[in-house]
Amino acid sequence: MSTSSRLFYVLKEGFLQLFRSRGLSTAVIVIVASTLLQLSFFLGLSLVLDHALGSAREKFQMAVFLAPAAQPSDRQRIQALLLADPRVASVGLVTKEEALQDFRKDPEIDQMVEALGENPLTDSFTVVLRKDAVEKPDELVAKLRQDPQIEEVDYGKNEWETVSNLTHVARWVGLVIGGFIFLTALFIISNTLSLALWARREDFILMARMGAPTWMRWGPYLWEGLLQGLGGALLVVLLMEALRRGAGEALQKYAGLDMLLALPAGDWGRLYFTLVVLGVFLGFLGAFLALQRKWVREIH
Amino acid sequence: MQIQAFHLTKVHDSGVKVLDDAYFSAPEGSFVAVLGESRTGKSTFLKILGGEEKPTSGVLRIDHKDIYSLSEKERHQWLSDVGMIFPDLKLFPDKTVEENIHFILQAKGASGEGEREAVAKLLSNAGLEGKASSKPSVLSSGEQRMVLALRAMIFRPRLLLADDPFQGLDEKAIAVLFRLFHELNRSGSTVILSTQQMAFLDASRNNSLPISWVKLEQGKLEPLEEIAS
Repeated sequence: MSTSSRLFYVLKEGFLQLFRSRGLSTAVIVIVASTLLQLSFFLGLSLVLDHALGSAREKFQMAVFLAPAAQPSDRQRIQALLLADPRVASVGLVTKEEALQDFRKDPEIDQMVEALGENPLTDSFTVVLRKDAVEKPDELVAKLRQDPQIEEVDYGKNEWETVSNLTHVARWVGLVIGGFIFLTALFIISNTLSLALWARREDFILMARMGAPTWMRWGPYLWEGLLQGLGGALLVVLLMEALRRGAGEALQKYAGLDMLLALPAGDWGRLYFTLVVLGVFLGFLGAFLALQRKWVREIH
Repeated sequence: MQIQAFHLTKVHDSGVKVLDDAYFSAPEGSFVAVLGESRTGKSTFLKILGGEEKPTSGVLRIDHKDIYSLSEKERHQWLSDVGMIFPDLKLFPDKTVEENIHFILQAKGASGEGEREAVAKLLSNAGLEGKASSKPSVLSSGEQRMVLALRAMIFRPRLLLADDPFQGLDEKAIAVLFRLFHELNRSGSTVILSTQQMAFLDASRNNSLPISWVKLEQGKLEPLEEIAS
């Protein structure tokens, strides 16, 4: 018997079984869908965090303050040094006059400066780093601090590290909870599929007695599980897409969906693809685990 | 396939001894009918030959092989040459008659081109034309038995084991089935059937059919001529 004939048999029988046992199939599809809905919350959260972190990276700026004694030639040299560094995306000069003008917008500071009678500020550079260099600016900062004409480098190290660490923690917590939900769902699905298998045990025994090889007995069943997983995943994708497109503004705000909805279409596509892969995997693995039951393996 | 059994004993879990030091021999291409009253162990004997019930003791060789020591792969290989008509080997209730027959062809690796036409012809020869798309539940018990028999023979097994295959069939269906058994046997297959209906013994003698009759009584298998003498 050719491989294509075998494949055709498995696909056909799997489809037919899906409709023959509609009740159990629906139960499995609903379980997969509810699991994926919960998982999609964590996946969505992860995407939002990624997105937020990406935006923060783009806005990440470093302020390089020059020493009061720095000459225009020093300023040019340091600007050239910064522009030549591969980690630097752009450099902007803020003269001490511009900085003072900015400061004096605050009436209290304006009074202090008035009392002081002179400009206490220095020239500075606003440095925007490239995305890939944002995570590790320490090396560049250390290099700049060695220059005698640079007084201080301020890059909000603590704030950046806090945001970065919180994001990592949130991602790990999401992963652990998501993993737990996945395993629980796998347990429930494999038990539900075991029930379906038990309902068909006489057919399984008959097949084995007639000499049907393992692929004929297991193949359609695994394919059926895979289809059920796919069905559950598509249900969730349809639901989420309907929500994304059709949910009213109020619902979006109350459900906290506005952050999710702000995600670019590409991220939504990635989320849907992940859900479909997870659904298919859940269904297939659930069916496979059901087939590992002792009473099934004893049927030869 | 050729079968040889020596000192074959089978004691059920209940303690009932259905085979007691029995001898049996069937050369390749033979047609053997096992005659016996109800509950004498005919079904158990056929199940032992089909690899479904291991004898308690004794030696059983089919084509010189001990079928109870085969690996799973070898067992599947062996089963692809064995057709069985056992009352508890039912039809799949969710499949049509045609699908039930296709299933066995696929299971035995005998599926191929022209299969659909061959099945249709077989059903027609057995008086089941128009029933190909029917589910077993709408067939009469006689028709179901006929489909079971066709399913066991369509892949031309080298060994056919038929446990009381004529029960519940009308005379016409019995004649059809008998003819199909003989055709299979003439093509070289070994056919072993069991029955408790003595009428077949007379019919086969009257028609000079080359059937060896064996009687199973009190756990022993005796050739019928010897019993007669």
